[in-house]
Amino acid sequence: MRTRDEETHFDAIVVGSGITGGWAAKELTERGLRTLVLEAGGPIDPQKDFVEHVQPWEVPFRGLGDRVALERDYPIQRGCSACDEYGHKFFVKDHENPYTTPTDAPFSWFRGRQVGGRSITWSRQVYRWSDLDFEANAKDGHGNDWPIRYRDVEPWYTYVERFIGVTGAREGLAHLPDGEFLPPMEMTCVEAAARPRILKAFNGERLITIGRAAVLTQPHNGRQACHYCGPCERGCVTHSYFNSLAATLPAAERTGRLTLRPNSVVAEVLYDPRLGKVSGVRVIDALTLEETEFTSRLLFLCASAFESVRLLLNSRSTRFPEGLANSSGTLGRYVMDHHWGSGASGTMPGFMDRRTLGRRPNGVYIPRFRNVKSQHPDFLRGYGMQGGSGRSGWGRGAGLSGYGASFKQSLIDDLGSWYLYASGFGETLPHPDNRLTLDPAERDKWGIPAARIEVRWRENERAMDEDMMVAMAEMLNAAGCTDIKTHGSDHPPGHAVHEMGGARMSRTADEGVLNGWNQAWDVKNLFITDGACMASTGWQNPSMTYMALTARAASYAVEAINRGEL
Amino acid sequence: MKRRDLLCTIGAATALALLPRDAIAAWARVASGVAPIGGLSDAHLALIGAVADTLLPRTDSPGAVDVGVPAFVNVLVSESYPPDDRKAFVAGLPVVEAQLRGRGGRPFVALSADERGDRIADIEDRGLVRRALSRLLRDGEPGRTYWKLKQLIIHGYFTSKPVGERVYQLDVVTGGFEGSVPFSPATGAAGGEGHAHA
Repeated sequence: MRTRDEETHFDAIVVGSGITGGWAAKELTERGLRTLVLEAGGPIDPQKDFVEHVQPWEVPFRGLGDRVALERDYPIQRGCSACDEYGHKFFVKDHENPYTTPTDAPFSWFRGRQVGGRSITWSRQVYRWSDLDFEANAKDGHGNDWPIRYRDVEPWYTYVERFIGVTGAREGLAHLPDGEFLPPMEMTCVEAAARPRILKAFNGERLITIGRAAVLTQPHNGRQACHYCGPCERGCVTHSYFNSLAATLPAAERTGRLTLRPNSVVAEVLYDPRLGKVSGVRVIDALTLEETEFTSRLLFLCASAFESVRLLLNSRSTRFPEGLANSSGTLGRYVMDHHWGSGASGTMPGFMDRRTLGRRPNGVYIPRFRNVKSQHPDFLRGYGMQGGSGRSGWGRGAGLSGYGASFKQSLIDDLGSWYLYASGFGETLPHPDNRLTLDPAERDKWGIPAARIEVRWRENERAMDEDMMVAMAEMLNAAGCTDIKTHGSDHPPGHAVHEMGGARMSRTADEGVLNGWNQAWDVKNLFITDGACMASTGWQNPSMTYMALTARAASYAVEAINRGEL
Repeated sequence: MKRRDLLCTIGAATALALLPRDAIAAWARVASGVAPIGGLSDAHLALIGAVADTLLPRTDSPGAVDVGVPAFVNVLVSESYPPDDRKAFVAGLPVVEAQLRGRGGRPFVALSADERGDRIADIEDRGLVRRALSRLLRDGEPGRTYWKLKQLIIHGYFTSKPVGERVYQLDVVTGGFEGSVPFSPATGAAGGEGHAHA
């Protein structure tokens, strides 16, 4: 892989090297384009930087973290569970990457700047959408109609699944289509016992299944199967979960057409008014602050939803005074995140003679059951729930009375009771006032105007949160759990790390930024394939859809070049 | 098993190369037993050691003091805690010490093992009642420092190298996942804590 290449003109430039940037790099290079990938963060060496096998006694605070340092350098990022004593290096330092919000509307923007982006720390859950999702905006009038349907994306879901490797169980649900699955991971005995009880209690409408995850349960495309060490969010030296470092960037490299340039902060997209196209990008070296312009025939923005929108807003010209490709005036509007975290937990009696072996990097999934067949009286759209189970282990000792040899031995010998829990990920209604703009004063370490984010939960999201708690408690009760406790979420927007929207797809140029091929209506050689393109959130984790749309867009773009259209 | 086999003998770890300089320094202080600058006083550490030894004494497996739990608590509280939390914890230690005193005001560290156990049982029983009441009254939580200390002692014990590696086997990588295997106290919990979630 060439780095720091002095060459400044390429067939294509990709901004970002995470989940979608890696896919764009793979597809564009494999289709013959000499491609430059610009990554704002530094390089990652898995052998040195991945820390999944570091034990608690090998770090000073035994996994509890250097709270002073985390509060100083990562006051926002530390709200993400993966930004801990082991993995904080995979998150940005907040003081170098500021953004603002209204005081009454906090937003948690969790970001990773390094080669691989957030694909290193993601939770690996991958679910297909269905037409329940692609038709949702059109049916209830919130947001604009998606210009695509499931049939448009279906072959690309398959294409992506075959490459990345997805473990899962086929369930035959129309609203959560099955994919090309590797063998599923096992459910725990408690999860397996809960499944038929919940199915029976709710006439088959509520289903608990094993999570669908981009983790290999058998060797796949030259990558090794998972060894079940547990903390994938710290990296994986065996490349057993999908990330761009492990899979797409090496595939791009094998073509001989990839140039990867880390520490390259893209400050502006350059627009050529004579041609009506983008001509390239202006890059600030993250370390030296030296500026360089790179040019290309084709530009893919894959910098993450909010970074791509911010970059367009920072790219102003006489033709586009309110941000590049913004003739519709929708750039930065309709930004979204899933609202998540409300649910319930309980104790499952029995099974005291059973335990699990190994650390399963995957949970259980309860697909959407609200507003699938009938309309709920309190809210539109729906939610999926994600959870898991286990025995409480030695950590329970902190809340138990007891001391001495017998107390110690009980913590060593016994695992405590079984718990079972799940929390919801809910669809957020698109709203024009949920918006990303530029802060008039704040700038980042490189002098680039910072984002101002204003996103609020509204009545529909709050009503859905309430239902998540009640519905999960009902399911735990049906499963036979005791000591059931509901938990409401007080997470501000952003905590699901599923930022979407801001440069949405649309059927016409006056209601969105992108057409149905992720191509800017206003600028034909500009494609945006990260979460910014989303016109609604669905209820599923979105990365699978981003990947499928990226591969689809790259195919379209290269065909358009070959037809002489770009 | 001989005690010397169980004592914490932290050597060069591969992880060391991965840590920032400040972290290496803190890690080295735990390993060497050198107290952090401005850390807990000797009296505090003696109290923490006595409580740790009472909660998790040496048996055929090492005790909390054997694996350096007081030094871990010292480094954690002195170097990781934000100033307000550290201040609250340090201010709570004399309260804990006073609550744990024996008859005639004898300090906890001077009590016999049986007497210490009685005092721990007493403070825990009373603490639980108080905690229940405080929840009802939505008040602050009396005894919070004691329970925080207990949590840190248990965490420090089970995440220490001798216990994590040889007793609880946190470092074992199974290479597979089974959702239901036989378990009994006789087979023990070795091989991990058994959580399964994303």
